[in-house]
Amino acid sequence: MNRVWALAVITYKEGIRNRSIFGVLAFALFVLGLNITVAGFFMREVGKVTVDMNLSALTFSGLLLVFFVALQLMAKDIDKKTIQLVFSKPVSRGQYIAGKYVGILLFVFVSLLVLVVFSSATVSLLLNLYPNYFAGFSWPMFFLAVTFILVQMAVLSAILILFSTLTTSSFASLIFTICVYLVGVTIEDVVFYVVSGFRTEAISPVVQEVLNVVAYVVPNFSMWDFKLEAAHGLLIAPARIGLGLGYAAIYITILLILSCLFFQRREFH
Amino acid sequence: MSLRKILGLLLVATIASGLHVFLSDRVWEQRGEVRRNIETGYVFPSRFTRILALGHKGLYADYLFLNTITFFGGKQMYQEKLTDEDWDYLAAGLEAVTDLDPYFLDPYVLAEGIMTWENMRFEDANHLLEKGTKYRTWDWRMPYYLGFNYFYFLKDYAKGSEYLMEASRRPGSPSFLPKLAARLSYYGDQAKTGVLFLTGVLAQTADENLRESLLKRKTALEGAASLEEGMERFKKEQGRSPRNIEELLEKGYIDKLPEEPYGGKWIILQSGRVFSTSKFADPLKKKKTEKKNPGGKP
Amino acid sequence: MGVLEITFENVFKTYNPGLFKKKVRAVEDLTLEVSQGEVYGLIGPNGAGKSTTIRVLLGLIRPNKGKILFRGEPLCQGQFREEIGYLPENPYLYDYLSLKEILEFCGRVSDCSGAMLQERIKVLTEKLELSQALRRPLRTFSKGMLQRAGICFALLHDPSIVILDEPMSGLDPLGRKLVFDIVLELKEQGKTVFFCSHILSDVERLCDRMGVLVKGRLVRTFEKKDFEESAERELHLLLPPVPENLMPDLGDLAVHLHSCPGGALLSISAARLTETAAILGRLGIQIRGTRTSQVSLEELFIETVEGVTS
Repeated sequence: MNRVWALAVITYKEGIRNRSIFGVLAFALFVLGLNITVAGFFMREVGKVTVDMNLSALTFSGLLLVFFVALQLMAKDIDKKTIQLVFSKPVSRGQYIAGKYVGILLFVFVSLLVLVVFSSATVSLLLNLYPNYFAGFSWPMFFLAVTFILVQMAVLSAILILFSTLTTSSFASLIFTICVYLVGVTIEDVVFYVVSGFRTEAISPVVQEVLNVVAYVVPNFSMWDFKLEAAHGLLIAPARIGLGLGYAAIYITILLILSCLFFQRREFH
Repeated sequence: MSLRKILGLLLVATIASGLHVFLSDRVWEQRGEVRRNIETGYVFPSRFTRILALGHKGLYADYLFLNTITFFGGKQMYQEKLTDEDWDYLAAGLEAVTDLDPYFLDPYVLAEGIMTWENMRFEDANHLLEKGTKYRTWDWRMPYYLGFNYFYFLKDYAKGSEYLMEASRRPGSPSFLPKLAARLSYYGDQAKTGVLFLTGVLAQTADENLRESLLKRKTALEGAASLEEGMERFKKEQGRSPRNIEELLEKGYIDKLPEEPYGGKWIILQSGRVFSTSKFADPLKKKKTEKKNPGGKP
Repeated sequence: MGVLEITFENVFKTYNPGLFKKKVRAVEDLTLEVSQGEVYGLIGPNGAGKSTTIRVLLGLIRPNKGKILFRGEPLCQGQFREEIGYLPENPYLYDYLSLKEILEFCGRVSDCSGAMLQERIKVLTEKLELSQALRRPLRTFSKGMLQRAGICFALLHDPSIVILDEPMSGLDPLGRKLVFDIVLELKEQGKTVFFCSHILSDVERLCDRMGVLVKGRLVRTFEKKDFEESAERELHLLLPPVPENLMPDLGDLAVHLHSCPGGALLSISAARLTETAAILGRLGIQIRGTRTSQVSLEELFIETVEGVTS
């Protein structure tokens, strides 16, 4: 597994030295600054709003990192034929996928960790400015929500890798990954709306069947979303954490296996 | 590029900048007007906002809430009366916010603060507060406000007492709650009860505007309470109800007329309760026709 | 002929570019062999299928038909790739890594590490005059430097087979000499070299055998000895067509007179130049020029290609 690690290391280095991450950093700092300014507008729930903005900023930064930098890490190899050089070495297709994935994960995690430091500083600052309005706040809940943002990014990266192995255009894999993500975050609300008795229009059975299938194929991202609980300091049952991690691990494994299989058949011109 | 060309371009740029500043001012002015005259907004049904939030429901709730209070605050700033549609929008907006995040405190506080006193939209307020009671299980204030609404506005003392008892069971609730609940079920509709209640609400309110209006009401109720006390003594001694407040003053049961902060005259209702010609409400403000604060940025 | 390192047997590869375009026959019925220690050059016009051939060898694409053997056994990519070094045309390496980092990656992936790896890196980068650039990011490298970096990458683990795709492309004359010397050195070390190139003079000088690929088919194979001149006849004089009646006057020189496009070619040893010039002068035959070989690869190549296309 030395080879997987060697590939992961260079993927990580290539990502972390990419100039784009400065853009992401600037964006995140901007949102955090906005947080500090806007917090006072709210009557009482300054704590909730702070957590909302921080976790959303971290999530969005993670998305930017995956969609723009991680995508390039996969696509450039194929576009510029670097991959042909790599495959002149005794690296199997499977080792390549694994190495790229680990490298991308490392890159995303380290980058987000830097942002988490800034975010925690912002939260601490506001906590000190408005101590009375952070009644429900708890650091463990906050960091648990952050951990699950990382889990979401891990799943998203696996989806990205799958599409990169399938399509030849980097733009296509970007669009497909974004689509899967959008479906993943909204599927829960759509399904529960359809299932509930409150709908005013009739839903055709075809649509219902399609939704059923989609609900299996696309992961339910709401499972890894603890922003609400962190914002109000609500307790999270350990079963939710366990199931969330397990669900993610299995899904990622399936995606990586599929990616390996598709990659075996792929030809490089 | 020759010097002449450079200077020429700089000149054009300067003129354009000046024009831009001028136009910018006009733009802000016009937008201010447009926003003031805007028809009430439309609120997406909750099932769509949940999907629209794309996984950031908390943030979206915050944003929607800011929108809602800005709208309300804007109307207040220009001292415009809210139409029925405006109140519908406000209610729908707060519903949407609490559907996205039912644990969010601010919408409930806002609902209690403005929907009840000014416009008697008790159903809307109570519906929201019931949601708040259900989700914010650690918060005694939600059922407290509900109790207050049922007692003070809807005259349903039994229900009011029920909610107060629920509030007293929640952590951190003030010690006077059980006593108040008991008073309610026994004494029901008396100004003194109202004063006690208002004291509790005031203790929870930080917003200056709201505090002012609540204090005003409290003063009025205290005045009414002292008059009711005088009436009680009159009835005991005279064996009948006084014909009017002045009789109390004449017969010496009260020293002087208490202050009526709304500027009305104290009267005695058929039911025997003390009230005022002002109905304990501020006189209606007419919608201003001339522009307020022209040319200024909001 | 020694051990057959690489063998192509009736290899076919057809591309299917899409619904409405015609299929492209990139490689057709390709059969060739490369022996151990041999330097084999694959030449051909653009689009002949040279790069495709190399890609099939590397397992980057799968042939539709045919077999590829490595040392007599069907090609097993894992083992094969341990023994080869590959330099692609216009290599692109990662932008933000330094030369040292990419070479370390190369080493680790070839199970070469630690002190030996560092030693190899030092030796190779010195030889290719890249020592100064070890810590610089690859995106600052010029084209020539990248090519040389690619050569380091290919040779790092001291492979027994070296596969080069247009190794001279983009290099200035100094760079080309460097690569030339390296291939010679590899040959001396007994390595097998398989490369394709457009620069026929280099191919002529370096290769033991050369294959001409035209439209996916291997149409002709040359061997080095086809171009070898015996030590005695190093000069070749270009003459106008010699009339029949003057032939006897040339004496023993006539044996070494060959016709060539537009005239005749007389091969002599350098020692007899003065004498030959005198004889030709007396006969009134003007010497138009000289050249270094009896036949040139370029001529043969053009002849071959035109033969196929006509």
